[in-house]
Amino acid sequence: MTAALTGVGVTSFGRQPGPDSVEWQVEAASLALADAGVDADAVDTLITGYSTVASHLMPANLFAERFGIRPATAFGMSVGGATGLAMLAQAARLVASGTARHVLVVAGEDRASGQTRETSTRTLAQVGHRRYEVPLGGTVPAYYALLASRYLWTYGLEPASLAAFPVQMRAHAARKLGAQFQKEITVEDVLASRPVAEPLRLLDCCPVSDGGAAFVVSAAPTGDRSLEIAGTGQAHRHQHLSAMEPGASGASLAAQRALAEADLSWEAVDVYGIYDSFSITVTMLLEELGLTPPGRAGAYARAGAFEVDGRYPMNTHGGLLSYGHCGVGGGMAHLAEVAMQLRHERGASQVGGAEVGYVHADGGVLSAHVGVVLRRRS
Amino acid sequence: MERRRDDWTADVPVLMVTACGRCGNHWYLPHEHCPVCGSDEVADVAASGGGLCVAVTRLHVTAEPTDAAAGPVRLALVELDEGPVVMGRAHDDALSPGDRAVVSFRPDGHDGVLVPSFAQAGSA
Ligand SMILES: [Zn+2]
Repeated sequence: MTAALTGVGVTSFGRQPGPDSVEWQVEAASLALADAGVDADAVDTLITGYSTVASHLMPANLFAERFGIRPATAFGMSVGGATGLAMLAQAARLVASGTARHVLVVAGEDRASGQTRETSTRTLAQVGHRRYEVPLGGTVPAYYALLASRYLWTYGLEPASLAAFPVQMRAHAARKLGAQFQKEITVEDVLASRPVAEPLRLLDCCPVSDGGAAFVVSAAPTGDRSLEIAGTGQAHRHQHLSAMEPGASGASLAAQRALAEADLSWEAVDVYGIYDSFSITVTMLLEELGLTPPGRAGAYARAGAFEVDGRYPMNTHGGLLSYGHCGVGGGMAHLAEVAMQLRHERGASQVGGAEVGYVHADGGVLSAHVGVVLRRRS
Repeated sequence: MERRRDDWTADVPVLMVTACGRCGNHWYLPHEHCPVCGSDEVADVAASGGGLCVAVTRLHVTAEPTDAAAGPVRLALVELDEGPVVMGRAHDDALSPGDRAVVSFRPDGHDGVLVPSFAQAGSA
């Protein structure tokens, strides 16, 4: 596929009252366009992610007017946490087919400051089935807690095995400017944090954040720092937890489709960005992707496999668990981080010789999957 | 149009599952087509209500602040003898993954709606 990732932009994430959703999008888009060296009026296609705080029928038009651009094509997308990578995949198709020259992909939300925690929890709980799940009183953490309970029972593990991920993500975030949480934590801290939906505790869950992220996808490189979007793949096999096929959520299928398009195998991948809304999310994704044996992801984490110099350097910005989660932009930060790794711009956190990166996001309850393979241009 | 079933969502105390007439796949949530083979030869059958508990959670933070005041909400996933996995409440503190579970129907949902609730088989 001939598509270039020419720019990325990620704001700081955290509780940062003031800007509304569109204003976070504006900040992120400005960063990405400057990174790409592309003028705003050269954007011919705009794809915008939804905001749960400021739900709107026409998020792309809303952004375009505010930003002051008049693209030929503009539309919104919505596949939960996978939206950011799904927008990128669509952007890559549009430039590869000659339909677009510069696509701006943008999302941002004042998710932490723009609504109460109750409103946020209730909105997100609607990923549950309206008649068969929501009336039971579940929330998104509860759905993932059920996955965690099943996982721990299946492999005879204790919650400490999941806790290795929040600890690793915090260690990464401690070295990343803009991260929401930077104070290092231990497995004991995770296990002592208050229960949210057992077996998940507060530190097993990502925060909600204010912030934004954006990409520029172009038909041709705009400079030496542009990367190749080598492959994208998706899978959409269920929406609700009660319809999920155990062990076949679609994660592996999406990854295999992306790798096949890139004509690469896992052996070629140097750096990873894997969606980590909860400790169990990244655990199950890593195992379904086949990167660790079943039941062993936590053991790999404890052994340092996801450190900068580990076997699978992953989420070196701190992930959703510690860099933060502002909705659609949260899942885009992983890709921006992998892009910076492939551009060899991560200083002390640089993965040596990174040439190929893999990024994976899921939406809902492991419902919508998108995998993206990025490659440094030689 | 969404398929409606005479099950607990219509205040009838029963769990319904759907069987595919072509490939024999069973599922829980309403689907127009079998997600495995695409057939629309589907038929609802009442589940026995027994199965294997595969997951439990105690939920301390709920969307409705009043719920939390009444103590944690317990949810379970139970793999029914018919095959599909069902989410329900759990009214038995001892119910754990690996246990044999049975369903009953209780007015424990929001605003007192009837919901499936699981307990260890043999317990009250
Ligand atoms: Zn079938």
